[in-house]
Amino acid sequence: MTYHPSAIVAGTPGLVAAEDDGECAVRVDAVTRRFGPVLAVDNLSLTVERGRTVALLGPNGAGKTTTISMLLGLSKPDSGSIEIFRSAPGSPAAHADVGAMLQDGGMMPGVLVGELLAMVRSLYMSPLALGEVVDIAQLRELEKRRVDRLSGGQSQRLRLAMALIGDPRLLILDEPTAAMDVETRRGFWHAMEGFTERGRTILFSTHYLEEADAAADRIVMMARGRVVADGTPAAIKDSVGLRVIRFSSAHAGIAGLETLPGAVSATAHGSRVELRCSDSDSALRALIATRPDARDIEVAGVALEDAFITITDGLAA
Amino acid sequence: MIKYLALEIRRSLRDRRYLLLVAGWPVAAYLLFSTVFGAAADRSEGLPPTVAIMVAMASFGAMGGVLMASGPRLAMDRQMGWLRQLRLTPLSPARILAARLTAAMALSLPAIILTFIAAALVKGVGLPLWEWPALVLLIAAGCLPFAAIGIVVGTIADGDGAQGLTMVLYLVLAALGGLWMPVAILPSVMQTIARTLPSYHLAQLGWHIARGEAPALGDGLVLLAWFAGAALLAVAVSRRLTLRSA
Repeated sequence: MTYHPSAIVAGTPGLVAAEDDGECAVRVDAVTRRFGPVLAVDNLSLTVERGRTVALLGPNGAGKTTTISMLLGLSKPDSGSIEIFRSAPGSPAAHADVGAMLQDGGMMPGVLVGELLAMVRSLYMSPLALGEVVDIAQLRELEKRRVDRLSGGQSQRLRLAMALIGDPRLLILDEPTAAMDVETRRGFWHAMEGFTERGRTILFSTHYLEEADAAADRIVMMARGRVVADGTPAAIKDSVGLRVIRFSSAHAGIAGLETLPGAVSATAHGSRVELRCSDSDSALRALIATRPDARDIEVAGVALEDAFITITDGLAA
Repeated sequence: MIKYLALEIRRSLRDRRYLLLVAGWPVAAYLLFSTVFGAAADRSEGLPPTVAIMVAMASFGAMGGVLMASGPRLAMDRQMGWLRQLRLTPLSPARILAARLTAAMALSLPAIILTFIAAALVKGVGLPLWEWPALVLLIAAGCLPFAAIGIVVGTIADGDGAQGLTMVLYLVLAALGGLWMPVAILPSVMQTIARTLPSYHLAQLGWHIARGEAPALGDGLVLLAWFAGAALLAVAVSRRLTLRSA
């Protein structure tokens, strides 16, 4: 099961599903979820094969948390269907298979870290050893601490321990590194690598493209409740164009520029034109041939965050 | 589920403010009332005041222990996101509810036992041996409606609101139910109201035993009716709330 080398951009769904032949960890089919007038998730379809680390990437309000909440059975779709290892979200089978970190998940007030972990561990059929989880989540010194007296980062490590303790086949993590410093974040993803090496699946949400790029082998980009891009980190970066050619031209029109080889999109600001490219070398050669009057040409890299904004803006337009 | 139940009970017993409120208060009130009124002749319950007040204060403390363990804690757990987290585990909502009800019921025991110990040691109350365990079990079991009422309160109100609402319910049920003063001295309208309240019937259960009689079926039925009503209400409000927030 190798993943597509090219990105699947919005408007061409179904390619992932067509490739699937075995049991999937997650299968979302045409799911819609509204909150009053707000369309939080809009006809979303998504399949996650086993053993993958998939990033759900998008700005706040993209529908990531709503999607995760439905995957966990904490809320129900208005229409469409979801399967977790062929079980319904929230069913006993799904609960045994899935470990999750929620952004707003709290801990039982008034109990000790060690007591809480031991209790939660007792709820699973074949859990991990307590000591192993404590080590992975770096909670060794905190076992005797009350859960309501942990710092933000410590609480997040406890959430991780709670997610791992049942030895789940699938981890669903909603913005797992939000409260972590750089050091803790590195340790966290190191621990996650150990988890996937055992054939486990991870689906996590983030609004940092760099984090998705570093940790995931597939990125699903969401905006306004829909998938706007889906592919390997390299493919995503190619499709958005990570280099930009800027030039001035007497006739500033952008007609025909987007179809130049290696070009992705073009915008004009007065007489200055900006051309986003996945392959700026080819685009530059073609540009000079078609626009001999182009002057003050510069070629530069684009920050990952800017690329992210480009693709989500593209959807809005 | 046993471990979850045990942890629910343990965290309440560890909470000093809670223990002081639900066990310290009834014991102190018992010692005060039984000293002030202890010399009086037998009360309307047909019991010596030291015994009648012992049963009343044990019932008062038991009711408080259950209400406080049920409502405010549920509201707090919901607000903190612990219930959301717990719903991700294989523990089903029905088992979570059963464990919480059982834990709340168990927390009627500290007040009952401590009040009895104070009565026996300080006021020299003596009862036939079988009556002690019968009283403990019956008063504890009679607290079932309060556990369900607490679930309703904890579902509709948030943290501080649930704490306040529980306190008001606690005091009103105790005063109108005749736990602080004999119902007989109240105006007749109040007496009629008292006879509809679960707190009144909880005390009646205990007074029957203390007189060496079998508990009256009617008291048990009223308590069961309150439990059924509160349980139905709990189901209704929690369903409405999930529909609204999900």
